[in-house]
Amino acid sequence: MSDETKVDLELDLKGLLCPLPMVKVSQNITNVPVGGVIRAVATDPGAMADIPAWAKSTGNEVLKAEKEDGEFVFLVKRVK
Amino acid sequence: METQQLTTLAGVIDKKMNRQLKQYIDICARCAICKDACHQYVGTGDFKYLPARRAELIRQIYKKYFDKAGRFVPALYEARDPDENLLEELYESTYACTACRRCMYFCPFSIDTAWILSVAKAMLIAAGMGNEMLSQLADAAIMKGDQPELFRDVLVSGFKDIEAEVREITGDPSAEIPVDKEGADILYVGLAGAHSIRPAAVIFHEAGASWTLSLFESANYGFFLGDAEKARKIADRYMDEALRLGVKEVVITECGHAYRVAKIFHEAWSGKKHPFRVRHILEVIDEYITDGRITVDPGSVKGAITYHDPCQIGRNGGLFEEPRRIVRALAADFRDLTPNREQQWCCGGGGGIVAMSEFDEDRIKSGAKKVEQIRATGATIIAAPCENCRLQLEQLRDHHELDLHITPIMDLVVEAMPLAGTKAAQA
Ligand code: SF4
Ligand code: SF4
Repeated sequence: MSDETKVDLELDLKGLLCPLPMVKVSQNITNVPVGGVIRAVATDPGAMADIPAWAKSTGNEVLKAEKEDGEFVFLVKRVK
Repeated sequence: METQQLTTLAGVIDKKMNRQLKQYIDICARCAICKDACHQYVGTGDFKYLPARRAELIRQIYKKYFDKAGRFVPALYEARDPDENLLEELYESTYACTACRRCMYFCPFSIDTAWILSVAKAMLIAAGMGNEMLSQLADAAIMKGDQPELFRDVLVSGFKDIEAEVREITGDPSAEIPVDKEGADILYVGLAGAHSIRPAAVIFHEAGASWTLSLFESANYGFFLGDAEKARKIADRYMDEALRLGVKEVVITECGHAYRVAKIFHEAWSGKKHPFRVRHILEVIDEYITDGRITVDPGSVKGAITYHDPCQIGRNGGLFEEPRRIVRALAADFRDLTPNREQQWCCGGGGGIVAMSEFDEDRIKSGAKKVEQIRATGATIIAAPCENCRLQLEQLRDHHELDLHITPIMDLVVEAMPLAGTKAAQA
């Protein structure tokens, strides 16, 4: 999945300690429409497991979870 | 609400009620002494946060269904159905409660309101009114335990990055963050965040400890949610790991509720006795300093420092002196909060409330007593060994514009250790 995906909401989660990045994504998912995408950037490595686990258990979809220049970049799609 | 559903919800209360809880229901003298003990009531003045009032809602349902007098003349005994109105009020008064149990400490009958509210949580969950955010966070944790193969590589790769930092901090290129190490003495259970792993790894390394890091975090949102089954499953993840690796002890990071879950509740939930002991990381660090296994510079902390007893570590966990001994070993100017230890004020950030945005405004108000206590010391540093407390204290600091540095104790310890590395302890 490339970064050309249309992003509906940008979340800057840098500096937040886990599990806060997951909490923030969860709190904001209803701020995008169904089918909409959140792009979130975190710096805590724990988010790499937390955010995909949250998405899987809530039935949402992680389009991307990657480390880029020491930051962790996520594209999360609201499925329902 | 249908009669059938009302009866089912009342049935949840009946199932949870044991002799002790029934006694609490019966003996409350409505003296309202508890009102001055609850930081939420004191900070907001809102009647729904008065401890006895929170419990009163459960009492009213209980009277209606299970008490003869209440069944026959409900109006006289304020006996009520668990209808939507009652459940809505119950939701707020229950999920806002930080389970600090300060009200219990001051109640002349030691009525445990937080325990009564665990019954309320079970009923709210049965009515489909459990807190959604806590439920999502609990499910995500269980997902990691159910399908560890999906998360293992990414977790281990994160640990490797932290290990590289530990090598820079200690100046020892052979320093390790071991995972899955069979026969290690200690299984250390951190939080998902690197900040809970990095300093502990440095301390274990310097102490020459035989340890291994859990793949899982100790935070337990199932506990805050009030769902004992989910809470058990979340704790099972690392307890099973401890059994599999054959460790001698499980050490919980600087977190309040996680310590209480591991030390006090898990054996009851699982019905099995742990073949290992459970300790808090501060007990271990205190021992390392006392035994000379790690060295700390006694003047390392510059400026006046105070210490906040997280409710689940202090009043409800019994650890008062270990953290104070550590802080005193590092600082010349230690000033305790007043009151402290068993009587410590809750900061307002426990019970999972920091994750429930609907309570944000009341949560900040409920920190008024803590702010007053901190100001009275004149300290510019506060050590608080619980993640939820620190989050709350940071927001209180910003809101009240306090000149205050908020820190875990582990970080202070690492900063006070003579280490050969060049990197600072925290990123
Ligand atoms: S202090 Fe105890 S007895 Fe008095 S109102 Fe509160 S809960 Fe009831
Ligand atoms: S346990 Fe703490 S927050 Fe809950 S009612 Fe008692 S004093 Fe208030």
